[in-house]
Amino acid sequence: MRTVLVASMRHHTRRYVAASVAVVIGVAFIVVIGMLTGATRSGLTADAGAPVSGVDLVVSPDAPRDTQRLVDAAADGGFPALTLGYAMEPVSRDGVQLAQSVDVAEVSLDPRVQWQVLEDGRFPSAAGEALADVNRAKSNDVAIGDVVRIGSGPAATDVEVVGLVDSPAAMGAALYVPWDDLRHFEDTLWVDAVAWGGTEAQATLVARSATVETADGWVAARQAEISRGVDVIAIMALLFVVIALFVGVLVITNTFSILFAQRMRDFALLRCVGVTRRQLRRAIRLEALALGVAAAALGVAVGALAGAGLVALVRRWFTDMGPAALDPVWTGAAFAVGTLVTLAAAWLPTRSATRVAPLAALRPDTGVDVRSAAGRWRLALAALGVSAGAALLVLAVAASSVPAMLAGGIASFVGVLLLGPVLVPRLIRLVGGLPGAGPVRRLATGNAVRNPRRTATTAASLLVGVTLTTAILTGLASSRTAIDKDMDRSYPLDATITAGAAPLDGALVDRVADTPGVAEAVGLDGTTATIGRVDVALLGAGRAPGVVRGGADLAPEDGVLLLPYDVVQDLPARTAERVWDDGEVTLTVDGREHTLDVETASGWGRSGLVSAATLASLDPDPQPMAVWARASDGADAEDLSGDLAALAGAAGADLDGGHGNRSWVYLQVDILTGSVVGLLAVAIVIALVGIANTLGLSVLERGRENALLRAMGLTRRQLGRAMAVEGLLLSSVATMLGTAIGLVFAWVGVQVMVTAVVEDAAFTVPVWQVGAVAAVAALAGLAACVLPARRAAAVTPAAGLALD
Amino acid sequence: MTTTLGSTTTTAASARGLTRTYGAGDNLVHALRGVDLDLPAGRFTAIMGPSGSGKSTLMHCLAGLDAATSGSVTVAGRDLAGLDDTALTVFRREHIGFVFQAFNLLPMLTAGQNIVLPLELAGRPVDRERYDQVVGVLGIADRLGHLPSQLSGGQQQRVAIARALVTQPDIVFADEPTGNLDSEASAEVLGHLRRSVRELGMTVVMVTHELDAAAYADDVVVIHDGAVTAHLTDPGQDELVAALRGRAA
Repeated sequence: MRTVLVASMRHHTRRYVAASVAVVIGVAFIVVIGMLTGATRSGLTADAGAPVSGVDLVVSPDAPRDTQRLVDAAADGGFPALTLGYAMEPVSRDGVQLAQSVDVAEVSLDPRVQWQVLEDGRFPSAAGEALADVNRAKSNDVAIGDVVRIGSGPAATDVEVVGLVDSPAAMGAALYVPWDDLRHFEDTLWVDAVAWGGTEAQATLVARSATVETADGWVAARQAEISRGVDVIAIMALLFVVIALFVGVLVITNTFSILFAQRMRDFALLRCVGVTRRQLRRAIRLEALALGVAAAALGVAVGALAGAGLVALVRRWFTDMGPAALDPVWTGAAFAVGTLVTLAAAWLPTRSATRVAPLAALRPDTGVDVRSAAGRWRLALAALGVSAGAALLVLAVAASSVPAMLAGGIASFVGVLLLGPVLVPRLIRLVGGLPGAGPVRRLATGNAVRNPRRTATTAASLLVGVTLTTAILTGLASSRTAIDKDMDRSYPLDATITAGAAPLDGALVDRVADTPGVAEAVGLDGTTATIGRVDVALLGAGRAPGVVRGGADLAPEDGVLLLPYDVVQDLPARTAERVWDDGEVTLTVDGREHTLDVETASGWGRSGLVSAATLASLDPDPQPMAVWARASDGADAEDLSGDLAALAGAAGADLDGGHGNRSWVYLQVDILTGSVVGLLAVAIVIALVGIANTLGLSVLERGRENALLRAMGLTRRQLGRAMAVEGLLLSSVATMLGTAIGLVFAWVGVQVMVTAVVEDAAFTVPVWQVGAVAAVAALAGLAACVLPARRAAAVTPAAGLALD
Repeated sequence: MTTTLGSTTTTAASARGLTRTYGAGDNLVHALRGVDLDLPAGRFTAIMGPSGSGKSTLMHCLAGLDAATSGSVTVAGRDLAGLDDTALTVFRREHIGFVFQAFNLLPMLTAGQNIVLPLELAGRPVDRERYDQVVGVLGIADRLGHLPSQLSGGQQQRVAIARALVTQPDIVFADEPTGNLDSEASAEVLGHLRRSVRELGMTVVMVTHELDAAAYADDVVVIHDGAVTAHLTDPGQDELVAALRGRAA
């Protein structure tokens, strides 16, 4: 049997190419994910212990005030202590904003815990001096000797950069300032732990509820935490590997079924000459094993190369990434999965192939006309899957249950896949029979539906990718509209520039309007009021400016003052209580006292809003006090806030607004969409290999038939077109079905997951995106038949008729 | 050997110095060595010869399915040399009909659909009168809705003949049309081929290695080792056997 095995492997090598490609892509996918996550993990965990290398203990304070006590105690005791944490603050230089949100950490003045690696300059020797990360400094063009302003409002602090440092990913910050500067930013400061040079007793003395652990233990825990984070990403990515492999199994199963059908006479002949059924089965399984091993090995090689290339590429921009390395366990698992998937995919086709009767070899050669039909049990199972799945989906919508949704989705999808041999040929006949059909299309339709199970499996492989992509794109688009509404409520204004002590220059509104990225800007007149010793700008907001997003009502009625929450919090306690309890406030404008009803809201910066009439009664001569702007779609958040901060800084005014937050959230959604589509693309690529494979093998099978057609007057171009139409019919039916199911799944998903959180979330179909997916999938089906069609057309009628 | 042709008949197809070789160098095989042949219109001609004599190659070249290495082929007054693949294909579907030994019918089309397929490919309308006439002559009117797999071998070949005739071609080539059939079905198919010549005025050229099949033909061309050794008109059984045996010895 070995000679038979080797000979048949050699003889059929080309026919196995497509199946191997599916395995190679799947295995390479796993290897690449392993290398990327491995490099990320090693990069992020490397040097995580650096900040605590100079101490033995790490104290994790329970409350912010503990941190200050610990720092004070260390200063009194003469031993080092370094806070581990950071504040997120805007940074500007000479009134020009460098970045909207920068992580600022502590650099100790005590050399024993100065862990940063100095590249240039020196460590700070007093408050007011700072270190900058060398990479961040380079990208923002900051040099030693520059004075930068960290923070805004009363906390703003000017520091001089005295040194540039290289710091590892896990603990790195962009700027390091001594504790006396850092503690100004208590609003955004978050201290995770304190590297503690003293004893445990000294720590618990001042911070009773703080946790004390050894430095080594703390580092290990941190590394484990980072690893877990990376693992979560790896597991998410593996989910897509499973999808890709499932599609791979469909493609490989189909390849084996077709190949075995074509070799049925060979098998029968072998049985005739005395090969037992068991021997035949073993030979075929060995063939599948050999194929699996070879393809999986190739997949590991391709994956290793691609992974090394990708890691090298990412490291050029993202220096925190570690070097590429192959994890032996992970790689071995990928290899095993590839081999097993191939074996599993060959299992069913092998069983039916070995059932061939020896007599089949002796029957007259009537040509290969493999017919397959859907068995009754299959239909029953399909009906069960679809109906149970649909019921679960209805239940999921009614009860907002995610598990029910997942179970229902899987059950109904499996039902549709099982129904494929009945459903897909009907749909193809329907599409193929649309008016205007010529002989070529009729021929293609006939060819596409002649083997229902083969057609269904081919369509199913593409169906998986299209359904999931459509569902996820639609789901994300719908949640995006929900996010939109939420954003409009939280951030009705993209940017506000509110005057401090002095009124604004009347021309500022024009300069803001001329700033790139600003769609519209309006100036608001107002006056300065004093509420319980706090000066607040009062703006007349009666004009309902078009810069406000969503339906937010920023136009108070006459006699009502709209105050932001954070202004109320800054008021003296008694005044604030009156606001909360009685809804009243007394304010002073130009030395005259007024009492107004007050309502609280947020989203327009540090100012009070009154109607135009109320403003006129408070101050007969209002001055320009604020500019509100709406960003144009797609404006770069960093650029815009930098430009506006420069204008605001020059005018001595405060910049506020939600554009930065809004852009950041949208960026997250875009990144999520991009990664999901990218990962699903692998499954779609495998499916297309499958379509090319089915068509290519059909060409071999229909050699004589095609020759007959050519003899009877089908031109080479017509034959090529018939193949193209066949591929297009297959892919377009799979795409249509996939889009339809995907939209249904997305609707259910939105009802279950989004509507439960945001009430008025609308189901939104991203027509362009879904259309693009459908067009790409359908056209790729066309592309998949280019090679098979050329091969089919290249055969001359005489040669084709002589084919056996 | 007599090589007389009726002076009143016209020529449906002819070959001059027709040579066809396969392979190159040491593997060069001469399938046809300078064949000169005229096939008269309105007659049933059998091309006979043993296996490997080149009879199938001769038919493929005459029918424009295969290109000659040298020499010329003229069918219906048209020189096939110099026609590109598309022109040749269009010429085939307008002027030539085919009946093969096996794989004659497309498995996914019904008998009726198979018959009108060449017309559809050419974009020509189906002439109902002609269709009914052909279907009637071949006796398959009650089988038109069946798939090939539901037909007997003889019925399948009759459908194939109907398909070859329905386009009213200048010449019909039949390649071992009875190769897969039992003797009863063979007789039936050969009778139908002869009727199509007698009653419908067609020109039929049949490649065969069976003496019984050749007996149905008007003329017999004997080919051996790639060359025509005899072209008999209305031969008797003895004359035919002598022509075949004379060369086969």
